[in-house]
Amino acid sequence: MAYITDYQYYENGGANPENENWGSYQYVTLQEIVNNFMLIYQGNNELLNNLNRYQVLFYAKRGIQELNYDAMKEIKILELEVGEDLRFIMPQDYVNWVRISLYQGGILYPMTENIQTNWAGAYLQDNNARILFDQDGNVLKPEYSTVTYDRIQGKKKSIYLNTDSPYHNSLGYFLDGAWFFDYNVGSRFGLNTETANVNPTFSINKQSGVINFDSTMSGRMAVLEYVSDGMESGNDAGVSVNKLFEDYLYAFIRYSLLNGRLGVQEYIVNRARKDKSSLLRNAKIRLSNIHPGRLLMNMRGQDKWIK
Amino acid sequence: MIDDVRNTVLAIANKNNYGYISPQDFNLYCQQAQMDLFEDYFYQYNSWITKQNQRVSGTGYADIVKSLEEVMDFFSQEVFLAQVGVANTYSLPSDYYLMNKLFYYPNSVAEGTNTFVAAFKLTDSTAAFSNLTNPTTPPIGSIIVNTTTNSQCYVTAIDNATTLSISANIMNLNDSYIIYTNTNISEVERVSQNKLFYLTSSPLTAPSNQFPAYVLGGNTVTIYPSTILSSTSIKAQYIRYPKPPKWTYSIISATEGTPVFNDTQPDYQDFELPLSDEPTLVAKICQYVGIEIRESDVVDFGTAQITNENQEEG
Repeated sequence: MAYITDYQYYENGGANPENENWGSYQYVTLQEIVNNFMLIYQGNNELLNNLNRYQVLFYAKRGIQELNYDAMKEIKILELEVGEDLRFIMPQDYVNWVRISLYQGGILYPMTENIQTNWAGAYLQDNNARILFDQDGNVLKPEYSTVTYDRIQGKKKSIYLNTDSPYHNSLGYFLDGAWFFDYNVGSRFGLNTETANVNPTFSINKQSGVINFDSTMSGRMAVLEYVSDGMESGNDAGVSVNKLFEDYLYAFIRYSLLNGRLGVQEYIVNRARKDKSSLLRNAKIRLSNIHPGRLLMNMRGQDKWIK
Repeated sequence: MIDDVRNTVLAIANKNNYGYISPQDFNLYCQQAQMDLFEDYFYQYNSWITKQNQRVSGTGYADIVKSLEEVMDFFSQEVFLAQVGVANTYSLPSDYYLMNKLFYYPNSVAEGTNTFVAAFKLTDSTAAFSNLTNPTTPPIGSIIVNTTTNSQCYVTAIDNATTLSISANIMNLNDSYIIYTNTNISEVERVSQNKLFYLTSSPLTAPSNQFPAYVLGGNTVTIYPSTILSSTSIKAQYIRYPKPPKWTYSIISATEGTPVFNDTQPDYQDFELPLSDEPTLVAKICQYVGIEIRESDVVDFGTAQITNENQEEG
C-alpha cells in the first residue's frame, strides 16, 4: 500500500467506509507487485527481458493463489443459518474448508465431517428396478434420493454419538453401575473414537457446491471457516498479499518465467528455483509467529497432571 | 545546421563547377538522409545494448547507450488520444513512428469550459475548485487536458474556487477541459491480435482497469476492457518522425538570382538530429547528390565516409 497520512489511515480522509485503510500496511497490492517486477527484474540488462506484462500478472496471481491455499493462513469466515433443506451454499470464493462449527448458546462447537455420505443422487426406476428415461433418452431423476430425503426428514440415523444415533434414547439395562444396550444387528465392543462426537455432522458435495448437514442442524447457525484463492472475485484492485511474502512472490514469478523460457541455462533456472523455495520457507517461518511469549503460554501446561 | 550542411555539400559537389544542387532537390535529399540516420539510431541502440550485456561498453562518458537514448528521447511526445465515436477505440497521432506507452487515467476530478483567458490560468466561472472541506482539489500536479485541442499541462496552484494556475498556456476561450489526478494511473499494455482472445478469455489475465490492454489496428488502438470509454482518458507516449528539413531562401537582386539562405521563413525547418551527425548527413547527401550530377567521386566519398564512421563507432 502507498504511504498515507494518519488521518487517511484512521478515518479514510473523512470518506466512507472509515475502516478502508485499517491494517493495509501489512499488505502489498497486486498492482505494486507487477509494477515492481517490471521495473526491477526485467529489462535490457536483466536476466529477463522482452516480457509481456500479462505474463508477469499471470504468474503473480498464480503465486498468490498458491500462497492462499496453504501458506498464508488468510482464513475467511462466514456465518449462515441452515434452513430446512439442511444445506449451506458455499461462498462464491470458496476453495477449501478449514473448520465448520455450530454456533449455539454463545459457543462455537466444531463439527465433524461425516465419514459416511449423507447425500446421494438417484435415478427413477420401475418395479423391476429398471432405470427410466425420458423421450430424449435422458435418465429420469427424482428431486431427492432416499438418503437425502431421509436426512432432510430427520429419519436418517447417524453412526455418531449424537441425537441421530439409532441407539439414542433406546432402552437398555443397568448392571453393576453401568448401562448396557442391545444392538439390532451385530455387536460393538468398546467405543469407536472416530465417531464418538455428539456435535452435528456435515458432508461436502463439491460438485453441487453445497455443504450438507445432518437433520439436527435445521434452523441452527453454522460458521464456516474457509480459504479462498485471494483473487477477490476478479477485482484486481482488491488483490493483495502480506508483505512477508513479497520477496517470495518476486522469486516465484522469476522462476516461473525463466523455467518456461527458451535458451536459459539450467543453472540459472536452478538458482531461481532454490531462491523461490528458500524464500517460501523463510516467509512461512516469519508468518508462523513463533516467539518466546507464545511458547511460554503453551509450556505453562507442562506440569499439569494427566489423569 | 542545415545551411552548414548545404554549403559543405555544395563545396564537395562543385569541384568542377558543375555540381549545383537546387534547394528543392537538396531538401529531398535532406529528408532521405535524416530518416535514414533516424532509423539507424534504433538499430544502433539495440546493437549497443547487446554489447553492454557482453560487457564491452563502459559507463560515464563511454556510455553509448545513454547518448543514443538522449537523441531518441528528443523525439518523444505525449498526447491524449482522441476517441473514435463513443467506442473504446482511439486515434493515433499521424506523426508517430513508434508507440512506446499508453496510459489510462481513470480519476477525473473536474471538467468544464474555460470562460476567461489569462496567461498560465484556467478560469471556469461555474467551477468549485476549492472549498472548505477540500481546499486542495484538484491536487497540485493534477493533469489538465484541453479536450478541444488535446494539449495538456499541470496544475501548479489553486488560486480560488474558479481559477487555477497552470504550467502552460493551453487554454483558449471556451475550450473544454478535464482534470485528472496523478494517482492510480495504469499502463495500457500492447497485445498482439493473435493473443487477444486468450488474454480476454482467461480469468487470470483478463484486462481490468488496473491492467488494461490494447491492440493496434490501422491508425487506431482498441482498449480493453471495453468499459474504458472516456473520451480523453488515454494518453500516449510515442516517438514521432523527425520533421522534414527545409532549407528556405530568398532571392535578392544583389546575388543575381542565387538563392540566399533565410531562416526566418515560416516553413523553415532545421535538421532535428544532433550536431554531431553533421558529417554523416553530409556524407549521405553526397551519395544522393553524386548520383544526380553523375559524379562517382562524390558517391564514393560519401560511401567511404560512412564506412569509416561505422568502423570507428562499431
